[in-house]
Amino acid sequence: MSRVARTTAAVALAVVALAGRAAAQRPHRSGLWFELGGGPAAVRVACAGCADVSFEAGSGGYLRLGGVLSDRVLLGVETFGFDDETFGFSAGDTAFVAETGTVAAVVLWFPWRSGAFLKGGVGIAEGSFTTTPTPGSPVIAEGVGVGLTFGLGYDVAISRKFAITVNAAAFITAIGDLVLPTSTVDDVIATMYVVSIGFTVR
Amino acid sequence: MLPPRVPWLVALVAGWRLVSPAPIAAQVPDSTPPAWTAPPQRPWVAVAEVAAVNVLVNRIDAWALQADWAIGAGTNSWKTNLRLGWEWDEDQFATNMFSHPYHGGLYFNTGRSNGLDYWESAPLAFLGSWTWEYFGESYRPSLNDFFMTSFGGIALGEMFHRVAASIRDNQARGGARNWREIAAVPLDPVGAFNRLIRGEWSERGPNPPEHDPGAFVLRVHAGAQLLADSSTADTVRSAPSVLVDLRYGDALIQPHRSPFDVFAVRLQTSAGTINQLRASGRLFGKDLNGPTARHRHQFGVNQRYDFVKNPAYQFGGQSVEAGLHSRWHLRGSFSLRTQVFVDAILLAALDAPSSGVGERIYDFGPGAGSRLEFALERRGITYVTLYGRNEFVHTVSGASADHIVNISGLEITVPIAWGLGVALHTEYYTRTSRYSDKPDEMREFPEARIYLTWTSASRPEAR
Repeated sequence: MSRVARTTAAVALAVVALAGRAAAQRPHRSGLWFELGGGPAAVRVACAGCADVSFEAGSGGYLRLGGVLSDRVLLGVETFGFDDETFGFSAGDTAFVAETGTVAAVVLWFPWRSGAFLKGGVGIAEGSFTTTPTPGSPVIAEGVGVGLTFGLGYDVAISRKFAITVNAAAFITAIGDLVLPTSTVDDVIATMYVVSIGFTVR
Repeated sequence: MLPPRVPWLVALVAGWRLVSPAPIAAQVPDSTPPAWTAPPQRPWVAVAEVAAVNVLVNRIDAWALQADWAIGAGTNSWKTNLRLGWEWDEDQFATNMFSHPYHGGLYFNTGRSNGLDYWESAPLAFLGSWTWEYFGESYRPSLNDFFMTSFGGIALGEMFHRVAASIRDNQARGGARNWREIAAVPLDPVGAFNRLIRGEWSERGPNPPEHDPGAFVLRVHAGAQLLADSSTADTVRSAPSVLVDLRYGDALIQPHRSPFDVFAVRLQTSAGTINQLRASGRLFGKDLNGPTARHRHQFGVNQRYDFVKNPAYQFGGQSVEAGLHSRWHLRGSFSLRTQVFVDAILLAALDAPSSGVGERIYDFGPGAGSRLEFALERRGITYVTLYGRNEFVHTVSGASADHIVNISGLEITVPIAWGLGVALHTEYYTRTSRYSDKPDEMREFPEARIYLTWTSASRPEAR
């Protein structure tokens, strides 16, 4: 288990322990709110004509801010970034640094009185895959396209204005063709899965 | 899954006014009906019905149609699909851009017919689509299907829900009542099923707010369409054509209350197939001046659905647009309605040379664009419309290309008498494709349509 994953697991346990105490407090957000967090992540990269998919671990972080549409529905903008320093398009390949980013309009829906919420959003996504041949300078293959995100989370109230938020989310990024040094990968879809802890000002 | 040959849809939408509410003044109930109250919310019933829709569609395809992708769906395909995840499919344009959104409308309307509102029903479209893609088919889940079924399902589902509510009349009785209920089934089958099992099919009571859009304009056109393609010299295709325009509500008369409280839809058929289905529904509206102002202005956000498939070209997509909607009062009862909008395309599909992948001959991609429209109206009824729209689409599946699409046109309707008239439409579609590995390519598709028209309209202030 990586250090990021161990730290996230420890914080998550602490948050769950706090959850019972926080349930009696006012859970939802009001006015302008923002949230910053991160945690362990994984990426699955699929492409047209590829025999299999690449599945690698990495880490992700996000910044989310927005306002309130109603007592239970929040509207905001989320930026998410993913990084894996040892990505490969085939088994045993670790030659690439994979980075993806998504900027999306998101809706957070609190269906109940508790701090539990569902999240959905759509926006712009980009992905870049960098490799450095020896000898040579870095070669970057990148694409821009559309991103979707879905997830769920829980706001654990620390005080009236602050909360710790636990998130589990998927980010789907469709970025088109990638021109690598030795080949072209068509119609790339990268899906990131992330479990994160966020600090929320609400 | 569902064939695009759905002339019943034309009949239903065209017949909306014929079979549906008589003018308010003519509806004289036996006694004052009780006020409408919101039905109870049944979210878990809606979720169960989403699952039931998937099981039913899968089993019909497996047992009746012997579809291998339905027969093969099971734990093995589920495991494979969960491991491999999304891909782009190679299905036909009408399947992806019309049938899937219609299918998504079923999921969405499990929510609407169980007391949930637009926003509460939207997650059901995503839930139904996701579970279908992963578990309903043996094929790998398709990302374009997920987009079109979910976003398109929300747009078509809400629109169909409202039109079906307008066709139904909870205060009607006897044979007319049954015909109304039956006529609404193709638009909102899930709602019809729920009404049937709850006894609402024949129960008398107040109508929901969606039953009466407040203002509407329905125009039915019948005539001929002439279509040309600049790549094939001296070739002009002609075909009979039926076109229906429905404007449900009026953004500049009615303040914003809920999503799709105002929408406009255009349906065009030719030779028994749908050539065009375009809809735009108001998600949000903010009046910029008062309702009594001489010139009216409103900021609006709309959800759009586009499906165009004719012998010359194919274009469709899901988008959201924001902009200014105005009505400028002219002399007498004339006014000029203007719309200036910019849009973000969540996912579009369009054909071009070298586009597509495998058996698919069109590209998928997100994009952005703008739309301008000027319409001369008299008492809310449009007689002259000049419009232009341009869209930029960046391909993420198919050719390595960016496409620029321009659609512009002029439509003139000359009234004769008793709601009848003649209309001439001209439209010019151009597409420029910029490939990373080929020379640019441009193509033009001029189109003319000539029609006999019939118009029916109602405005609140006219009552």
